[in-house]
Amino acid sequence: MITRRVQYEVAGRLAGPALFRLEAWQQRVKKMRKGPRKSAIFGPPLECVSKLKELMGTHYLQGRYADGAVPVAWVTSGFPVEILRPLGFHAVYPENHAALCSVQRVVPELSDAVEKEGYARDLCSYARTDIGSVVTGKTPVGRLPKPDVLLCCTNICQTVLYWYRALAAHFNVPLVLMDTPFVYGEAKPHHRQYVRDQLEELVDVAERVGGKRVDPEELEEVVRVARDGTRLWGECLAASRAKPAPWTGIDGFFHIAPIVTLRGTRQCNAYYRMLLDELNDRVAKGIGGIVNERHRLLWDNLPIWFDVRGLSTLMAERGFNFVVTTYTNAWAEAGSRIDPADPIGSAVVAYTDIILNQDLNKRLDTMRRLSRDYSVDGAVLHSDRSCKPYSIGQIDLKQRLAKELDMRVLVLEADHGDPRAYAKEQGEGRLTAFMEGFS
Amino acid sequence: MRRAYIERQRGEHGRKSVAVLPVHHPKELLTALDLLSVELWGPPGPPRGPDVGRVQSYVCAVARNALAFLAAGHADVVDAVLYPHTCDSIQGLATLIPDFGGCAKPALTFLHPKGPSRPSARTYLEAELRSLAASLEGIAGKELEPERLRAAIALHREIDDTKARVLAGRARLPLADRALYEQLRRGEFLWPEEHLAELRALEARLESAPVQRGVPVMVTGYVPEPMGILDAIDDAGAFVAVDDWAAIGRRVTRAQTFDRAGEPFRALVDLYHAAPPCPTRHADQGARMRHLLDLFDRSGAAGVIVHEPKFCEPELFDVPAIKKTFADRKVPLLYLETELEAELPGQTVTRIEAFVEMLQSSRRAA
Ligand code: SF4
Ligand code: SF4
Repeated sequence: MITRRVQYEVAGRLAGPALFRLEAWQQRVKKMRKGPRKSAIFGPPLECVSKLKELMGTHYLQGRYADGAVPVAWVTSGFPVEILRPLGFHAVYPENHAALCSVQRVVPELSDAVEKEGYARDLCSYARTDIGSVVTGKTPVGRLPKPDVLLCCTNICQTVLYWYRALAAHFNVPLVLMDTPFVYGEAKPHHRQYVRDQLEELVDVAERVGGKRVDPEELEEVVRVARDGTRLWGECLAASRAKPAPWTGIDGFFHIAPIVTLRGTRQCNAYYRMLLDELNDRVAKGIGGIVNERHRLLWDNLPIWFDVRGLSTLMAERGFNFVVTTYTNAWAEAGSRIDPADPIGSAVVAYTDIILNQDLNKRLDTMRRLSRDYSVDGAVLHSDRSCKPYSIGQIDLKQRLAKELDMRVLVLEADHGDPRAYAKEQGEGRLTAFMEGFS
Repeated sequence: MRRAYIERQRGEHGRKSVAVLPVHHPKELLTALDLLSVELWGPPGPPRGPDVGRVQSYVCAVARNALAFLAAGHADVVDAVLYPHTCDSIQGLATLIPDFGGCAKPALTFLHPKGPSRPSARTYLEAELRSLAASLEGIAGKELEPERLRAAIALHREIDDTKARVLAGRARLPLADRALYEQLRRGEFLWPEEHLAELRALEARLESAPVQRGVPVMVTGYVPEPMGILDAIDDAGAFVAVDDWAAIGRRVTRAQTFDRAGEPFRALVDLYHAAPPCPTRHADQGARMRHLLDLFDRSGAAGVIVHEPKFCEPELFDVPAIKKTFADRKVPLLYLETELEAELPGQTVTRIEAFVEMLQSSRRAA
């Protein structure tokens, strides 16, 4: 146990940062030797990227030594993780891990493994990927620590529940559920009370698994850090209101990782301060995420992780930039509502009233507001084959957005994780035709 | 047929009606308020209206068909639509239809809790039931009287108990699967007292010894649609000895006593948590597997048919565990996926025939 704890701390504090800094330094040297390479379509790469790699790489490296060293929780992305931080939990985010697997293009292999066991290919590709990783032990991050507890919040979908039930049966560990009733119009008082009661039940379970009690002052501080981090993330996104936007929405999909996985930690906030400074500097200098920003677009739904580069290149070549996405924006809104003076009470609202847990009118309002705030002249709604909660309603949303805001809107069918569910050529053809309609 | 029945209930008894989407809803509340509950499992067959195009083809046929049906005005005879908190798809329909158009009838929701019977869930469920009752009072135009609710709970207990006896005595019932399940499914729209009378008539037909000569099989899945699946099982030489279809067997709460003098809302909470494990209510997967094994053992079935709708997340996530549970016991299992087609595809019929043949030859060999 002590050795394990030492390994865990060394990985997180020394080995991880040192390793990734060395890698960043090697990259810089390589670049210097080759001389600066200027892209004809994208702006200069963000300097922060190496820091992002260090932060996330260290998180996963440290995770390899977490089980046996500290309590380990596997949590859904919308879970109120703040409660775990004062108890010293290491939080693993299977969704983030699955996204990483998709970027590394290992989803078909992992999914095949579970399809053989009977998981249908129509099920959420994040779930298939992660269960595949659990079953095969294969992961691009080396190793994921075994959970002591599974924490699942239904504010993003019901699917996570089915997925975590399967994980609970596999690992034979407790599954703690935060059931957040869907909000049609306004949440009813007994819906709020239910979430509050569950948060209180959660504290008891987390304390039992963590082996200590939550210190209210520590919790208050974590909540403050989480709220500030969320606001910083929101400011980073808001930098794209400038013309040209200093980065792309696609960049945003990658830079979202700390606010999802490290929310409530100082490293997370330090990172976003650095990113914000860089973005503000680019705005001041008129440096765009793409070289020739002619059209500004909104993206709805998760990214197509396995093809983000291809897709953004196709768009950027023709002067199109996704300056805002509903997905990255969701992470700037919910968490900013938590209040250190009332960690539990404010978490009830913050974790219930999020885009995927609210009715379509609210979603349309958000899309309208973002379209105006970011001065977009078109939108691409990613109809995500294996994410039903985010995709149902998009056909109506398309019509309403197009009519009310008089803009071009495309529904593009693909998948967030599984390349086998995306007809790339056809998709690119549709995007090209969509872009041609602007001229 | 249902339209005529709904209109007759209104004309003869002054009863209003509520269309209800799958799977679980507190029917007792509707009965106590003299509201007819008419369930909408699709309906099966091709979508009955152009609005089906408002949701993607990768959404299940149950949700797609329900949208098309409601938006084409086929449910204009009812007074409200109730959307239980079953899955992401129904949750989506419960905002798509009322907010973006498709059915002008009042939309009610029943956001039942997920997970085990913990204190937070019990308190919440009681409040949610009371909130739904208040909305239903508005539709019915009358107040819910506790005594009527108690009577409705007792009536539905009687229905479940009778249904449980009929299902437990399946092998002694001289009726083909299709005829039996058509009778059972009439409970999806009949006034409960009429349904009970029909169930009692069924029970009276139970013989003292088994009359079914086919191979007994267990079926687990969502809804027996297309109903041709039952003909195919029969024709192949088997019969459904026990079922865990979400629409039928999984909604029969067995052997649950109910305190007639107690607080009725609390009784409903107890009943909700005593129902058989269902993934749409987030039952523990291990508990569900134990329940399925228990059903299987008690039925004497020789094999298992898993019959699921394509794209149904709650059902499909349990399929690997079901396959493994029965494989570990070396129980033959056939997996079928259907999409509310009007007719059972020929290929599926052939697979059922081959499966039953295999069960028959194993039995002969044993
Ligand atoms: S991708 Fe969609 S279905 Fe999958 S976990 Fe996320 S919200 Fe749920
Ligand atoms: S996804 Fe499953 S539970 Fe939901 S409506 Fe479709 S068939 Fe029913």
